[in-house]
Amino acid sequence: MSPIIKRSGFAIGLVACAGLAGAALFGNATADTLPPVTRLAQAAPQAAPQVASASSTAGRKAMLLQYCSGCHNDKSKAAGMSVQPLDADHLGANNDVWEKILRRVSLGEMPPRGMKRPSKEEIADFTRWLSSSLDGMSAAAPNPGRATLRRLNRTEYGNAVRDLLGLDIDLSKDLPVDDMGYGFDNIADVLTVSPTLMDRYINVAGKVSRLATGLASRTPVTTDYKITKDLFENAFGIAAYNERASDDLPVDSRGGGSFKFYAPYDATYTIQLYLNAGTQTESEIDANNRHEVKAFMKAGPRIIGASFPRKLTLEQVLIPRTTKGPRVGTSATVVQLPLDVQVDGALVQRITVPSVAQGPNVAQDFYMRDIMQISVAGPYDVKGPGNTASRRTIFVCRPSAEIAEAACARRILASLARRAYRRPVTDRDIGRLMKTYDAGRQDGGFEHGIQAALEEVLVSPNFLFMRESNPPSSAPGSVNRISDFELATRLSFFLWSSIPDNRLLALAQAGQLSRPAVLKQQVTRMLSDPKARALTQNFAGQWLHLRRLEYQRPDKRNFPGFDERLRTAMLTETQMFFDGVVRENRSVLDFLDADYTYVNQRLAEHYGMKGIYGTSFRKVNLDPALHRGGLLGQGAILTVTSYNDRTSVVLRGKWILDNILSAPPPPPPPDIPALNEAKNGKLLSVREQMDLHRSNAICASCHSKMDPLGFSLENYDAVGAWRVNYAGQKLDVTAVLPDGTKFEGPKGLQGILLDRKDQFVEAFTERLMTYGLGRGLEAYDMPAVRKVRYAAAKDDFRMSTIIMEIVQSVPFAMRRTPER
Amino acid sequence: MIIRSKPMGRRTVLRGMGATLALPLLEAMMTSPSAAEAAAKTRMRLQVIYMPNGMMMQNYTPAQTGAGYAMTPILKPLEPYREKFAVISGLAHKQAEALGDGGGDHGRSCGSYLTGVHVKKTEGADITSGPSMDQIVARQFSEQTQIPSLELGLDPPSLVGSCDTGYSCAYTNTLSWRTASTPLPVTVNPREVFERIFGDGDSLDAKTRIMRLRRQASILDSVAEDARHLSGSMGADDKKKIEEYMASIRDIERRIQKMEQGGPSAAALPAYARPSGIPDSFEDYARMMIDLQVLAYQADMTRVGTFMVGREVSGRSYPEIGVADAHHPLSHHGNDPEKIAKLTKINILHMEQVAYYLKRMSETKDGEGTLLDHSMLLAGASLADSNTHQHTNLPVIVAGGLVKGNQHMMVKDDVPMTNLMLSMMDRLGVQQERLGDSSGRLTGFTA
Repeated sequence: MSPIIKRSGFAIGLVACAGLAGAALFGNATADTLPPVTRLAQAAPQAAPQVASASSTAGRKAMLLQYCSGCHNDKSKAAGMSVQPLDADHLGANNDVWEKILRRVSLGEMPPRGMKRPSKEEIADFTRWLSSSLDGMSAAAPNPGRATLRRLNRTEYGNAVRDLLGLDIDLSKDLPVDDMGYGFDNIADVLTVSPTLMDRYINVAGKVSRLATGLASRTPVTTDYKITKDLFENAFGIAAYNERASDDLPVDSRGGGSFKFYAPYDATYTIQLYLNAGTQTESEIDANNRHEVKAFMKAGPRIIGASFPRKLTLEQVLIPRTTKGPRVGTSATVVQLPLDVQVDGALVQRITVPSVAQGPNVAQDFYMRDIMQISVAGPYDVKGPGNTASRRTIFVCRPSAEIAEAACARRILASLARRAYRRPVTDRDIGRLMKTYDAGRQDGGFEHGIQAALEEVLVSPNFLFMRESNPPSSAPGSVNRISDFELATRLSFFLWSSIPDNRLLALAQAGQLSRPAVLKQQVTRMLSDPKARALTQNFAGQWLHLRRLEYQRPDKRNFPGFDERLRTAMLTETQMFFDGVVRENRSVLDFLDADYTYVNQRLAEHYGMKGIYGTSFRKVNLDPALHRGGLLGQGAILTVTSYNDRTSVVLRGKWILDNILSAPPPPPPPDIPALNEAKNGKLLSVREQMDLHRSNAICASCHSKMDPLGFSLENYDAVGAWRVNYAGQKLDVTAVLPDGTKFEGPKGLQGILLDRKDQFVEAFTERLMTYGLGRGLEAYDMPAVRKVRYAAAKDDFRMSTIIMEIVQSVPFAMRRTPER
Repeated sequence: MIIRSKPMGRRTVLRGMGATLALPLLEAMMTSPSAAEAAAKTRMRLQVIYMPNGMMMQNYTPAQTGAGYAMTPILKPLEPYREKFAVISGLAHKQAEALGDGGGDHGRSCGSYLTGVHVKKTEGADITSGPSMDQIVARQFSEQTQIPSLELGLDPPSLVGSCDTGYSCAYTNTLSWRTASTPLPVTVNPREVFERIFGDGDSLDAKTRIMRLRRQASILDSVAEDARHLSGSMGADDKKKIEEYMASIRDIERRIQKMEQGGPSAAALPAYARPSGIPDSFEDYARMMIDLQVLAYQADMTRVGTFMVGREVSGRSYPEIGVADAHHPLSHHGNDPEKIAKLTKINILHMEQVAYYLKRMSETKDGEGTLLDHSMLLAGASLADSNTHQHTNLPVIVAGGLVKGNQHMMVKDDVPMTNLMLSMMDRLGVQQERLGDSSGRLTGFTA
């Protein structure tokens, strides 16, 4: 044994506990999910641009033995890993292990602090060599990984139907929520089909096909729209606002609400408004407080709105929720209040409703008259199916003297099937659909035939699954470019969460889409289409955990200022912020540090900004004194990373590691020792608890990474409001990273993250790529991730460059023919 | 969407929603009273109710064994049904323990609850558990009803992030596994449950309905043919997905056949209104789901159901009972008396839902007796004290006419939960030799 090894052996003895810590550090989820050895095992490593000479690969090996084999040897196998069998000349045999080494060493996590570490220059040289070797190897023998047959998730199904039929309704709520994997709900492996789901598909396909063709049931039904209101914990009263409830309502209105209603026929409908009852249980909806108006509506999507004209002055938006004593202006008697009902923004009727006056504590000025629910009943007195967008989209021809029924049906079905199946239609496709058409036609005529065939399209596996086929006679295991049609589908589900449009299909048909110039042009076009909002809704909604905001219920006692308006405003801010980066092709570093954001009055007040009036959002420049800028200063993020009653440094720290740095901490050990939260009978402060985390070696292995990051955000409370003091004491927000770096507060954290911008951009790319591919990333994907980062670095890390690089990457553009 | 037509049947008002459900008049659908009686006697139902994040055992376990034991705070809500249920202490789910897989006790809990299988630790690629007890029973009962089983829950499948470290959310989203690789996720939207039981029902005219059913049947034939055609050229992984699709189609086809053959169906039901969404209050929501489940039993649309009051790691807070803290972090109570008090409150609230189920079952007629007489309930959790992730001495309640009530049984030596389940299946007439880690049978709790 060489003296070098002996030295590190000595080090093990010294840090027996750190050995445990190291094991935990290495044993993260990636370690467990990486596949054993990939096909690349057989591929000979290619000389990469900076591959070192033979003598220096021997040097690398010696370096591993010197610094790593103390713990990672064949015997102790810390974190299940040994560097002893690794061959620096043949990385391919263990590319997953090498990727792990690369990640840990470049993050500065390994070798751990307290152990002997190579110099900075040695580390830089080593990681440069390792990454370029791995990248070169991947370039020589690309491995696009596996693409399992993927089912449309419920969002995609809803969007696809919308785009296929021009039917503007939200179907996603009619289907069950999909399972998630790797943080997203579009992961092929976990999108299963159950009988319950199939039942829903059949159900929805029937409803949608009848609605779109104008053959919906003529039986009157009632559609309810419940308006989200703030309820006190004890269901006592509703917060009343003197502000516009939605952008679809008149500027000078207050209260009420609006919703999109799809009128199945040109017909008369009854709009019913259920008002709050003025009782202690304001959530009750009852017929005594129902008011109705009748309206004729044309078939198609209609915006139904109802609101009160506004009474107070412009700046006064919130009526304080005091519960005692009379208020100025309180009327003890019932007065008549005007209430406006609109369809598509046009006044249908102004009605009057009585105010509520039942004594000082429940008088109408405390809980102003407001609308709890809007219902639409109908259709009555049906005039006809109308000229809807969906009927125009579907019926591309009408049987006439020029075109016989069957020929017209064929034309209609070919057009539908091509777009729904996202490929050229075959005679077989049309043959099957025509059979169903014939059966439907016999039952009820031409349109019923089309409706029946459409019902079939919407449950067909050709529609429900993103099927990709292997090039004819391709050998199992061989790697090929996907076809242009498959590319069109991957692109549109990535950027739009929906099916390709005619333009993409036409380019695919012409074999043009995969040409880099065309592809670039199309990606740019797609990102500027309103459908690209899907990236914000679905990618950002999950990457940033925004979807959780809806379920967050901050404790009313600690955070009386949190209400539905604020919740909505927080969500809108972060959505507009993300959308702005996409739409304006800004640098993704804006996510870490931006000098602008989007606010309305409600949110501005929450952030302590002055001079912002009204419910509409606008882009504002941020004064540094406001302590905002970037995602980590946004209310939505700060709220979803908190508990309902308090902040959590651990949740916030873990959130940053998971989503911003892609360095998830390993799972907590099975038997977590309970922390003593009290000492000498006194409850410990957050900082004292953190110190406790640090003093216990097992806890420290992860918490020393999580806690400081989260701690620097303690200036934001559990709903993201700025605070300087907590529990009567001034907050001390200085924190120390495991490597000894000291920083302070949100600004300090920003600096820390910007220093690690390469890591952030790779983390962001990993998340976006996972979403784009619908599968978890594996070790063999890492060269592709790095390639995106290199290219993005040359363009200030702009969003469109990252997206362009992803769609041209090996895993996105290629496919491996599966082994049989 | 609420369908309103003039209601004709008996009605039960669902609290909070103002929506009405007209209960089907089961007797009226039967040919004669005596036939109804005979049929009711042979019908048996299996219900499972799962409570998340463990139980405060010190406020749950009765101090005495045998009959006439003193009720504890958490069991108190069940008191009116003392004669109808038994408490069994000492059972274990060893397969939910780490067994070398490290953290993720919550992640393993649901997957092993009705299977006794140590689930595979994976984020997605190859989820493996099951099959589960309810599905084994459902398969055997499936010939008799239109829907083999209902899987209901109150927490939507995790909307963001992972569920428990290293474990796919598929493991916590259900208790039911049709096969080892096919979980059946819970339905959380009352309206979806309603439509699954009674169809989309936007037409109540029988002729149209039958025409639609025939249409659906022929469309399903056609797409199944497409699926077969597609799978011909597929690799093994893709084939598995298409097979799931085809199995689901067969399920629906069978259901359509049953409806065509007659028997209780939405077409025969009196007018009804359907739930329009998810009620705001936890209790209203839980009760609405229980009402729907009982309705499905009453109409004999299904005989097997699972209901997850919450999924593991549920972070729901319960401000209506003064618990603003998220449930899961609270469940790691560190022996803080205040936290234990709050957890106990949550446990009691959950147990009140079990009581509500017993109430509804016991007041709903089924032939001469009640639904409760002809059913068996398993209610409990896959964790005892969640603070330490304990999978032994689990809280277990069995109830219904097939159970010997008013007793607290204590078993020793970590008898597997699956032994209990095997014996439950025996009582339901379902032959099964083994289930997961079962080591035998548990006797003494059936009537």
